[in-house]
Amino acid sequence: MLVGAFTGVAIALITKNFALAVIGAIVAGGLLSLIFAYLAVSRRGDQMVTGFGVNLLATGLTLVLLPYLNAIRTRTVLFPVIDAGFLKDIPLLGPMIFDQSIGVWMALILTPMSMWVLYKTTWGLSLRAVGENSKAVATAGLSVIKLRYIGVLLGGLFAGLGGAFLALNNIGFFVANMTQSRGFIVLAALVVGKWNPLYFGIACILFGAADALQLRAQAFGSVLPYQVYLMLPYLLTIAALAGLVGRTQAPKEYAKPYDPTQA
Amino acid sequence: MKKEYQINQLQINSLGIIDFLLASSRPIFSVIMAFLVSGVIILIQGINPIDAFSAIIRGAFGNIGSIANTCVRATPLLIGALGMTLGIRGGIFNVGAEGQLYIGAAAATTVGLLPLPVPSWLHITLSLIAGILGGSLFAVLPAFLKAYRGISEIVVTIMLNFVGIYFVSYLIHEPNLIGKADASYAQSRDILPSAALPVLIKGTSLHFGIIIAVVLALILFSVLKYSRFGYRTRMVGANPEAAHYVGVNVKRSIFTTFLMVGGFSGLMGAVEILGFKHSIFDYFSGGLGYDTVAVSLLGGVNPLGVIVSAFFFGSLRAGGNLMQQTVGVSTYMVQVIQALVVLFIVGIGFMKPRIRKQKSTTLQPIETNNLEG
Amino acid sequence: MLQMKGITKNYPSVIANDKISFDVKIGEIHALLGENGAGKSTLMNVLYGLQNLDNGEIFINGQQIHISSPKVAADAGIGMVHQHFMLVENMTALENVMLGLHQAKPPLLDIKGTREKFNSIVEKYGLVVDPDLPVWQLSVGEQQWLEIIKLLFRDVKLLILDEPTAVLTPAEAHQLFTTLRFLISEGRSIVFITHKLDEVQEIADRITVLRDGKLVGTLNKEEASSFQLSTMMVGRSVTLERRPRPIITEKSPVVVIEDLQCKNERGLTALKSINLTMYSGEILGVAGVDGNGQRELAECITGLHLPTHGKINILGKLVSKVVDDSSLLGFIPEDRHRTGLILDFTVYENLVMRTYKDPPFDWHGKTNWGKVKTFAKELIKRYDIRTPTEIVLVNTLSGGNQQKVVVARETNGQPSVVIASQPTRGLDLGAIETLHELLIKERNRGAAVMFISTELSEVMALSDRIIVMFNGEIMGEMDGENANVLHVGEMMMGHRIEN
Repeated sequence: MLVGAFTGVAIALITKNFALAVIGAIVAGGLLSLIFAYLAVSRRGDQMVTGFGVNLLATGLTLVLLPYLNAIRTRTVLFPVIDAGFLKDIPLLGPMIFDQSIGVWMALILTPMSMWVLYKTTWGLSLRAVGENSKAVATAGLSVIKLRYIGVLLGGLFAGLGGAFLALNNIGFFVANMTQSRGFIVLAALVVGKWNPLYFGIACILFGAADALQLRAQAFGSVLPYQVYLMLPYLLTIAALAGLVGRTQAPKEYAKPYDPTQA
Repeated sequence: MKKEYQINQLQINSLGIIDFLLASSRPIFSVIMAFLVSGVIILIQGINPIDAFSAIIRGAFGNIGSIANTCVRATPLLIGALGMTLGIRGGIFNVGAEGQLYIGAAAATTVGLLPLPVPSWLHITLSLIAGILGGSLFAVLPAFLKAYRGISEIVVTIMLNFVGIYFVSYLIHEPNLIGKADASYAQSRDILPSAALPVLIKGTSLHFGIIIAVVLALILFSVLKYSRFGYRTRMVGANPEAAHYVGVNVKRSIFTTFLMVGGFSGLMGAVEILGFKHSIFDYFSGGLGYDTVAVSLLGGVNPLGVIVSAFFFGSLRAGGNLMQQTVGVSTYMVQVIQALVVLFIVGIGFMKPRIRKQKSTTLQPIETNNLEG
Repeated sequence: MLQMKGITKNYPSVIANDKISFDVKIGEIHALLGENGAGKSTLMNVLYGLQNLDNGEIFINGQQIHISSPKVAADAGIGMVHQHFMLVENMTALENVMLGLHQAKPPLLDIKGTREKFNSIVEKYGLVVDPDLPVWQLSVGEQQWLEIIKLLFRDVKLLILDEPTAVLTPAEAHQLFTTLRFLISEGRSIVFITHKLDEVQEIADRITVLRDGKLVGTLNKEEASSFQLSTMMVGRSVTLERRPRPIITEKSPVVVIEDLQCKNERGLTALKSINLTMYSGEILGVAGVDGNGQRELAECITGLHLPTHGKINILGKLVSKVVDDSSLLGFIPEDRHRTGLILDFTVYENLVMRTYKDPPFDWHGKTNWGKVKTFAKELIKRYDIRTPTEIVLVNTLSGGNQQKVVVARETNGQPSVVIASQPTRGLDLGAIETLHELLIKERNRGAAVMFISTELSEVMALSDRIIVMFNGEIMGEMDGENANVLHVGEMMMGHRIEN
């Protein structure tokens, strides 16, 4: 996500081409995820440690390269807002729904789309199965390694897109560590969303609301110190995990390496 | 049937000095590879990597001052990585060292600011204890959730890091608490001289913390290897179910180990403040807590190995500044090198013996992924 | 239809298949017989493309074929039902069938068409499975049917069944045999892997015996007597005969279980009102198909699992937490890799897991590893654990020797109670015999021994008294000397028989 944000901003600054920036961000997220895939899937490395290492690498690389980015002093391109014409003028609902950028719409469309892919296509079925029982997938004549690579890669592409949105939706520049561990909040949203794209989307909106509240509260000033609002999304994540884990079922082979030599 | 017997002496699971030396070839290889790759990254920036790396070496070992600086940088890394090591041995992957260290630092600062009518050594001791308690206290929630609710510690501790950092940020912004009034940027008041750790070599920043850290490493080494507690902790880390079957209270073991891990992180923050920084400011740690993971892994999750790897990473940090000043490579390059070391260790399979035995104790683990990257 | 010639497969430490030749004719059931570790599964994994062979040739209908992956095997009409089912538990039966199956309009799933075909197969072969239930809600028998349905969907010509009856009740096994006969009547061929002699004689047309990775021979059904087969299997004539033992008259109750009830991990009732007494100097055999409450019973007695109702007394003391007194109770858990041992620890570290906190190993919190190693050396000698030294990692030992480590640890304290839960699973016959001897020794010493096993022959050979469990209940109890195998078999299927 971080690398996606960074690349997105970089390309947007250099080329001034919005589409190119987003594609670049997605590709960058994907490339990084391939490192993870190689170590976690092919080398069967510990996924916790590998994930940690990849995150550390992403943070480090963006920080090393940040000065170069800051040296380019031009305005960047942002996610365009879809002009819904008169619909925007509907009171309350208008600005809420019909004054959103293309990024928001992408998220809204991707959610049912991934739902459809996962549950209605052969490939989705295989992908779900490979998280549950990789041997069953192997004996069905499918490649576990390939499926897992694609799964990780898609995750990386999506994360890259998320990063691009974060940086280019309205800020237009890159800030050190700008994701603020949102990637981990996503994990919590998965648990809360019961590993189902639709519920997951709803959980994400909830977390987003906490984040927005934090910003608003800071802007308006309040009796509580602003740090309390900053903590809010993180506290909410912990509360969600504490309250809901155990009632939801993660895929059985989640975070487990596949070893074809083990009979 | 012909079988090849592996003698325990060669496994990273073991805890001897010779074992460490034998097992260290792979970490060394990882380090070399990490330098090669980061050399390429530096090259891409149009800078000669040899100049960059020699700047690091000069910055770390060039003169007595820089050696002292290396030790000062290594001290908190060593203390924190010992906690990390104890955690991994006991089945805990604590990514919460960063938050725990902030709370520990704040607790130590609070006590260090009190004008206590006691001798200096006691004031120091009390402040250090406050740091340990602060870190432990901040580990109570993830410890409880992991041990008794089966919730993975990873996400919880990462979330708590932010909570801890913002909480301390609040404390130092308030002059009524530990904040410094009229500061140009938010920071706490300086601790009283009676609470500061003594400097070992005049004219350098080398402080007593390094002795604390090395002694702790030796203690942890013998505790893990020779004590009933250490054996039990290792049982729980290696196979919690088997430990449960022979009557070990796995939940309690995980809970108490987790608090001790938090204590190490808290002490790390306390020592950093009392020995080096003397006051807290926003983001004063610069990610020290996260570095402990890499230090512990590179040290083979062995307290003696961790001494070596802490000094290695300390020298990188110490030399990184000179690299930036002289050849213009960002100090964050050090972080890239660290990340590469971790990834190469995973890639070479150094961590393999631990993978399959790290089964979750009760429920589904939530583990880190590459979403954040 | 199938010919395998000179199949050789090496593992780093052992040759799993050594120049084995094997063939299957159209319309026959060919049994592959051998002990655990004889190389049966390896041979079939090679055929199914799960493992690559190092040497040898495979022909299908006279044409040589290079099977590099399960996909190649599947395209050649070969299908396999593995011992551990290859089913995705959280998906429905129908979804499991569709996995990897060519769909009418890819990439779309043809749910409707698949369901129709599913139902027609269910009807034709009598393999009743609800297509819309998730697999975890299916019984073990139904899961077996589902595996076969998956193969029939792919119109497999050669079915490989790996120990298919291991998890079935006798009635289910009977139905399986009926289905198999129907399948060969359609011109399909079947390889039936097993280590059970009686099944071979019931179902097979031809029998191939493997031992230590080598081919011993292939016989027609008519020329194979069970004596001959068992001799071929183990290289000496061994069948599990009832073990001689001294008569112990002084028996006193050691474990008293009253109205015990408990739930399993899923929250379903696992034990319904168990009343049972274990006596000193007695081996109590617990027979039953896997998963009928045996594990919960063992774990309740050891205090690992807490009952929802009722109580357990060991020598008058109520069990309320894990019993960690090694002179009171020894427990050999069913899964030595997961719960019995710490595989990455050394032999001596594993041997002291029970007693590390007691003197002389513990001195004010400090472990005396010197004394532990001396103690370990003594146990290695006493229990004849085959290991070069006590400092090797326990995962480098053979299965039988690993189990001896567990037994040594659990029984050296001379406990009053010994619970052995499927202690011989996955061991070869020699190791099984050794283990039986060790348990008899415990009994002769005066311990109350519980021997839980799904292998009826073992229970019959070892027990002084036998109980049979079905669905969380004790179906009946009988004397070990005079027990009738048929009665035990009936009870395993859930019939109560009053003696």
